[in-house]
Amino acid sequence: MIPTLGRFIILASVLVATTGAFIAYAAGAKRSPEGLRWSQRFAYLFAALMVAATAVMEYALITHDFSVQYVAHVGSIEVPMWVTIVSLWSSLEGSILFWGFILGIYIAVTTWINRNDHQEYMPFAIGTWLAVGAFFSFLIAGPANPFLTVASPPLDGPGPNPLLQNHLLMIIHPPMLYLGYVGMTIPFGFAVAALLRGRLGQSFLRPLRASLLLPWVFLTIAIMLGGWWAYEVLGWGGYWAWDPVENASLLPWLTATAALHSAIVLERRGVLKGWTVTLIQASFLLTILGTFMTRSGVFNSVHSFTQSAIGPTILIFLAAVLLFSVALLAFRIDSLEADGQLDSAVSREGMFLVNNLFFVVLTFTVLIGTCFPLIVEAVKGKQMSVGRPYFDTMVVPIGTALLFLLGVGPALPWGKASKKEAQRALLPPLITGAIVLIIGYALGVRNGWTLLTLMFGGYAAHVTLAQMWLPFRQRLKKGDSFGSALVDTQLRRGRRRFGGYIVHAGAVIVFVSIAVSSTMRSQQEVTLNRGQSTTFAGYTVTFMGTEERTEPHRQSTIARFNITKGGKAVTTMEPRMNQYAAMREPIGTPAVYSTLAGDYYVSIMNLQGDQAGVLIINMPMVGWIWFSVLMMGAGGLIALIPARRRTYVVVPESDVHIDTEVVA
Amino acid sequence: MNRTVLIIGIIIVGAIVFILFAGLGKDPQHIDSPLVGRQAPPFALRAVGTGETIDLESLRGKPVIVNFWATWCGPCFEEHPTLVANARNLPNVQFVGIVFNDTDDKIMRFLAERGSAYPTLLDANGKTAIAYGVGGVPETFFINPAGKIVAKFEGPLSTETLQENLAKALR
Repeated sequence: MIPTLGRFIILASVLVATTGAFIAYAAGAKRSPEGLRWSQRFAYLFAALMVAATAVMEYALITHDFSVQYVAHVGSIEVPMWVTIVSLWSSLEGSILFWGFILGIYIAVTTWINRNDHQEYMPFAIGTWLAVGAFFSFLIAGPANPFLTVASPPLDGPGPNPLLQNHLLMIIHPPMLYLGYVGMTIPFGFAVAALLRGRLGQSFLRPLRASLLLPWVFLTIAIMLGGWWAYEVLGWGGYWAWDPVENASLLPWLTATAALHSAIVLERRGVLKGWTVTLIQASFLLTILGTFMTRSGVFNSVHSFTQSAIGPTILIFLAAVLLFSVALLAFRIDSLEADGQLDSAVSREGMFLVNNLFFVVLTFTVLIGTCFPLIVEAVKGKQMSVGRPYFDTMVVPIGTALLFLLGVGPALPWGKASKKEAQRALLPPLITGAIVLIIGYALGVRNGWTLLTLMFGGYAAHVTLAQMWLPFRQRLKKGDSFGSALVDTQLRRGRRRFGGYIVHAGAVIVFVSIAVSSTMRSQQEVTLNRGQSTTFAGYTVTFMGTEERTEPHRQSTIARFNITKGGKAVTTMEPRMNQYAAMREPIGTPAVYSTLAGDYYVSIMNLQGDQAGVLIINMPMVGWIWFSVLMMGAGGLIALIPARRRTYVVVPESDVHIDTEVVA
Repeated sequence: MNRTVLIIGIIIVGAIVFILFAGLGKDPQHIDSPLVGRQAPPFALRAVGTGETIDLESLRGKPVIVNFWATWCGPCFEEHPTLVANARNLPNVQFVGIVFNDTDDKIMRFLAERGSAYPTLLDANGKTAIAYGVGGVPETFFINPAGKIVAKFEGPLSTETLQENLAKALR
């Protein structure tokens, strides 16, 4: 019953998405308002079907209906309710269904928000989204069908992948990532619409930018949560390993960040239209590439789903969208005429250009490093892997350069800066940079790159705060009261600007804390007998013994350590070794003691009777990364909050000069 | 039409699709073992139950199947019946189980419940597993009568994969 219902809904969604895509494109070509209304209806219907299919699957999971193949694969009577609910995205077929669910919601909400606006572009946008929707419902209906039936249903299933069960972050990380990944479909649709229409007007920049910023926020947080999860759950003491799938999440983030910046130049100066559209297309294509990476079995990674037959299907889709995008760009890019020009390189827009260049170089660097093992295997038939040394050598200099721009860019004025202006803008922050550099040196930082990061970080922090302060100070000068000036400049009128600088401030802290935590970390591997102590990085660690714990899905050995500092008890740490029934090797879960200054990290390497091999790591500032990335996300959200509805005055677009502070 | 965009685009697209296509159908978990084609690292380990020491050297002249496993490993449960059945059917092939990260009593209980047909050795400090570069259990090495490793298999064996790899040892 359930499988039949599920399959029926999915088949209907394939039909609806395909038909809707055709109708929408036809409506776009004929500029038919009636056609647009119909394509909107199809968009809503598609979303409703996706929601219904997901509801049916959740119902099957919660009622433990093992006649549904997916439930038989990932369900289990023994696992807690929250695990049952989230097992929707714990395995391949369910995760694609979840993808469709989020896509449906994105499409419906964006269509609704713009139901009366941008009629010129909307049909092509809806058509593009529904075409993508048609592909994903085809995947669900065919190669990755979660609604297949099991002839003789088992009484109980194995439960989802045990690694996904041992931390609550697993509830948040995947949905955040999907919200980021899937959301890139929306700006892609808008970009395609702009290219097909052959124009990209000022008013259309608003939905384009918002639709890019929202998934950017989700992706930013998702990447951080993934790093945090790895750090808290996998006992190797790091948060980023340049694993192919980590890279896959970073790639669209890089291009989307670049696109957000180039869109600002486009808005202010009317240039970089084709470039912005290209970056947006690249962001979407990279999400599809990421999907291929996790689901094709081509890359080895903790994130890989089990091998499946959907790899070739996704690859064909990827190739088709790539060709479509390239062809569209080649035929249409010249029709997106610039409305202005760049005056000078030493200006804010000049720095935006350099920023974009670095982001693109970074994207290619990471992409090549990720794919290089495949290239070597394809060409030479040899196995190899590209690891930390490559990525660190390549990425650190580019990252440091980006931090430099993060300081210099916002300091420079738009347009053309005279030598004097430039000096007045660029010199004062050097003092803050120097102060931070000296403090870092006094605290023991000796690594050249880290010192450079501290200096650029101090510089950028100065500029960022000064920029936030600027409109506020102007209002105070005009005689406004402190409170009203603050609310008005930062939260009401200048919300978008304020949000942007919050993101920048967060990014500065991320840069500094990554540099400090990775170059200032120290670690020690020791073997301790029960009752024995070791002193490392100011703390004394005493091994108190172990305890066995048996849970339905795993057996754990918990080791207890007392941590003291100067004779005073600080905390008790309990790292553990987990052996999951379904895994080939045991997995250690570390214990972390966090303070503002840094983390003290204890992980078990091996346990034999009363002897424990322990890895102790002292990592300064690492906790700052998580919070500053959240700050970046919050800044993005602040910038997203729409301004109050304005009354429109209809003016031909090319004649309009809109004050961006107000448009925000 | 913008030729430059088209040409650069087609080159990038072509390269990406070609590389990804070439990668399809491979098992990314699989790592070529440098041991294949070389003399098997020697070991002499105590058998669980009987207590006698079995030396790999003494097994020369017959193909040997060395299976690394542990009682805490799920996939090992899965392949155990296959190994036992094949060991009974192939009297001319020497099967050897090597258990690591485990204790005698747990192994005894496992074998009593699930049957056994060949010696099971305890790799107390894991040295043999390290010598063979075992990355996880189960892993199985196929050694020819001359003592050379001819194949390595990761994960649970089926009768087909077992026969297929064993054929290399008989060649």
